[in-house]
Amino acid sequence: MSIKSKGDSQTDVGPEGLLARNTLASLTQAGFDRAACRVSADELHELQAENSEINLFRTNFETDISLVGIADERKASISINQIDEATVNNAVADLRAMAAGSSPDSAHDIACHQPHETFNGGIAEPNYDLMYDRVAEMQTYASDKYPTLNLRSTGVTFYKRKSCFVNSNDVCFQTSRGLYQVSISFSSKEGTDTSSMMYTGYSSYDLDTPIFEATNVDMLLRQSTEQVRTEHIPGKFQGEMIISPDCLTDFLGFMLGRISDGSLISGTSVFKDKLNEAVASPLLSIHSRPVDDALTGGYWVTGGGFKAENSTILDQGVLKTYLLGQYGANKTGLDRAVNSGGNYCVDAGESNYEDLISSVKEGILITRFSGGRPNDRGDFSGIAKNSYYIKDGKVAFPVKETTVSGNMVDLLQNISGISKERLNFGGSVLPWVKVSGIKAS
Amino acid sequence: MQIADIDLGKYSNQFSSYTELRLHENRSQSIVLLNGDVVSNARDTTGGVSARVFNDGTWGFSSNPDMSNDSIDVTISAATRNAAFLAKRTGDENAVLPSSKASRSSDFRTKKVLKTQEEKIAFLTEIDQFIVNSFPDIVSRQVLLSCLDMEKKLQTSEGSNGHNITTRALIAVKLTTENADNEPVELSEVIGARGQYEDVFESMDTIGPALEKLYAQLLDKKEAVQPISGYHDVILASDLAGILAHEAIGHTTEADIVRAGSIAADFLGKKVASDLITLVDFANSYQGEILPVPIYLDDEGVESQDAIIIEDGVLKSYMHNKDTAQHFGMELTGNARAYSYTDEPLVRMRNTAILSGASKIEDMIASIDDGYLLMRPTNGQADSTSEFMFGVQMGYEIKNGKLGNAISDTTISGVAFDMLNNVTMVSDEMVWSCAGMCGKKQPMPVGMGGPAVKTKVYIGGQ
Repeated sequence: MSIKSKGDSQTDVGPEGLLARNTLASLTQAGFDRAACRVSADELHELQAENSEINLFRTNFETDISLVGIADERKASISINQIDEATVNNAVADLRAMAAGSSPDSAHDIACHQPHETFNGGIAEPNYDLMYDRVAEMQTYASDKYPTLNLRSTGVTFYKRKSCFVNSNDVCFQTSRGLYQVSISFSSKEGTDTSSMMYTGYSSYDLDTPIFEATNVDMLLRQSTEQVRTEHIPGKFQGEMIISPDCLTDFLGFMLGRISDGSLISGTSVFKDKLNEAVASPLLSIHSRPVDDALTGGYWVTGGGFKAENSTILDQGVLKTYLLGQYGANKTGLDRAVNSGGNYCVDAGESNYEDLISSVKEGILITRFSGGRPNDRGDFSGIAKNSYYIKDGKVAFPVKETTVSGNMVDLLQNISGISKERLNFGGSVLPWVKVSGIKAS
Repeated sequence: MQIADIDLGKYSNQFSSYTELRLHENRSQSIVLLNGDVVSNARDTTGGVSARVFNDGTWGFSSNPDMSNDSIDVTISAATRNAAFLAKRTGDENAVLPSSKASRSSDFRTKKVLKTQEEKIAFLTEIDQFIVNSFPDIVSRQVLLSCLDMEKKLQTSEGSNGHNITTRALIAVKLTTENADNEPVELSEVIGARGQYEDVFESMDTIGPALEKLYAQLLDKKEAVQPISGYHDVILASDLAGILAHEAIGHTTEADIVRAGSIAADFLGKKVASDLITLVDFANSYQGEILPVPIYLDDEGVESQDAIIIEDGVLKSYMHNKDTAQHFGMELTGNARAYSYTDEPLVRMRNTAILSGASKIEDMIASIDDGYLLMRPTNGQADSTSEFMFGVQMGYEIKNGKLGNAISDTTISGVAFDMLNNVTMVSDEMVWSCAGMCGKKQPMPVGMGGPAVKTKVYIGGQ
């Protein structure tokens, strides 16, 4: 379902817009030089199965009012979820006191004036019967095809958010999107042999496809049943690693974090002063695409109240943008990013998945990474979970207690292959990526 | 309307089968100073009503932020309707839950006058200035205040009720310096406890010494060497014991994880650890001391009991909610907790600890010829196989019974029951941490504690 965007008049706002505008007026009256307000109304309808029994049906309704105020260059923010007049008025008064107690910083600001716009996407209502049927069908499929698999949880959620963002620079963005989110977690057991737990998920505007046919779900289920019997790798080695789309963001996350506000403002980022320089293999191009019809999990408005645009972060290994918000941009003197990051799409490569595997002399096919947080230099180590040993171009066996280590900065430079095949998780589109120079032990 | 003013008992006549009705509000606050600038000055209050209904083995749940009379009526009706939807399709009319009836309340809010935002920011600025004035060569510093109050009021169809307010206040400090190659080297510390800000942070008296220790270790870390990867004799310092108890053993013995295939299902009543190991998930207190996350009544209306998981090396029991206690035929422990009003209660740890032993830490270090002293955990993760992992941001080599060079950040791992069987010494300390935030489907504050232990673990590295 395509995303629609249209202009909007000052008066054509729903209940969220009216509340947002009234609250903004209160903020201005309270003495804020600059102010912003976002009102969201959420619906969540969820069916959940645990241990192969469909046992929870949930309907949640939520509201959220987020207020931001700047007075004399002092900023504060409050989020509440009660919308009665007294609670909102108290929040405005508290916000004023919080800002007054803070320190002035000329980098604080709100989004500049932009034309009013309304964005709608996705579906309006859940189909309970179809949600139920998809969960039940998944239970049956798993138990019939993989008797040793324990489908620990299956969740199908319909999630809808209506939101309005306004600020004192006459910005008004209204958005509405409804979608399904699907998640499963599972492990396998044969006798006393147990596999590691595994999980996956995706979002979609429909439930036309059985869960076991979506993304690589069936491959992961099969692999789980294989992983009840694991083996130690023959010995320590330095070799290659093929990173599955399921855990690729674990390895891109270090770079994406270090080109964002905190690391760049503090000056501790290893990517400072690297704009327009090659920081990765020329095989790697990464985009942030929050407004892409191919993705269901995007957004139209940034957290700071700017209309979001798609961007290229790495173009053939060259760093094309930082992911700075408005405050970070003002603080560092660099450009504000045109979005808030997320919705990462990695360009497909030129190798088939099978060719990537067959090109590995000795390595690890990693599907889940259970690792410690990398330090600021990017050094990392962690356990390769639900993963396989590759020897002479063949997947040999699932591995046991195997640690992989390296450096996240070097890892980007050491990419030596990217698959043609990619998985669309709804919020991201990712391939398999081969890297060299990984230590396994 | 305040939660305290709402009488939940009057809705009991709307309960058509087993029902939990909960009012729940989380109040959090965050202030962040980055190199002296206030980059975050935020509060969040999120609350509402939820109802969960059990019908023929299935659950219906609904929530709404509106805590008015009409909204509570609608929420009970919606949860009842949702349970009926599932019961009609998959219900088992023979399904039952263990019953419980308890009435317990607690309130850990401060009795002092609340500090203003200006006073709190001034205190954080004082900490920031202490760092600037005391510690040369710091290229970046972050001081973060994080406070969370959780207020819950519960009424169940079995007559359980209670009004419980838990609180905690934490200050996290991260210092970054540079090594000889101009690469960043960082170290962080979390200081805090159960209680609101006014009770926990009365002065710099406890913070200053902690930061001086942090800085001294950071200087050692500037010269750090890479640990040698592989299995090693190690001392896991007492500030690691909590995460060891939580990640390595705790998750593996949560009964919902056991039911889903955890390896602990095969070891009940069997020897899984050295005789030196006793591990308990405490409900609220130990040896007369109220623990970091005191739970008296869980979110299913069960009076919380201590869960003795491992006693003298033998796996004795699991942690339960009503579903799992029924499934395993075991006693309720009161471990069912929900993070938000929108969440259903899950089996969650409370204050998980390895009990202290008799060894002195100095003797433990002296007993190792070639190994490591590991301290200061970062993140961690568990698995159904009982294989655990957690990050370590500080440590030292041990050579011939003496501390050597500092080591750089690493990840340690192992199979929990193997690691526990290899424990040969347990120190006489008992250190509690209030900073844990567990991430099992929902976030959840947890307490963790324990002594230093000598064992073998796998160390990631070169």
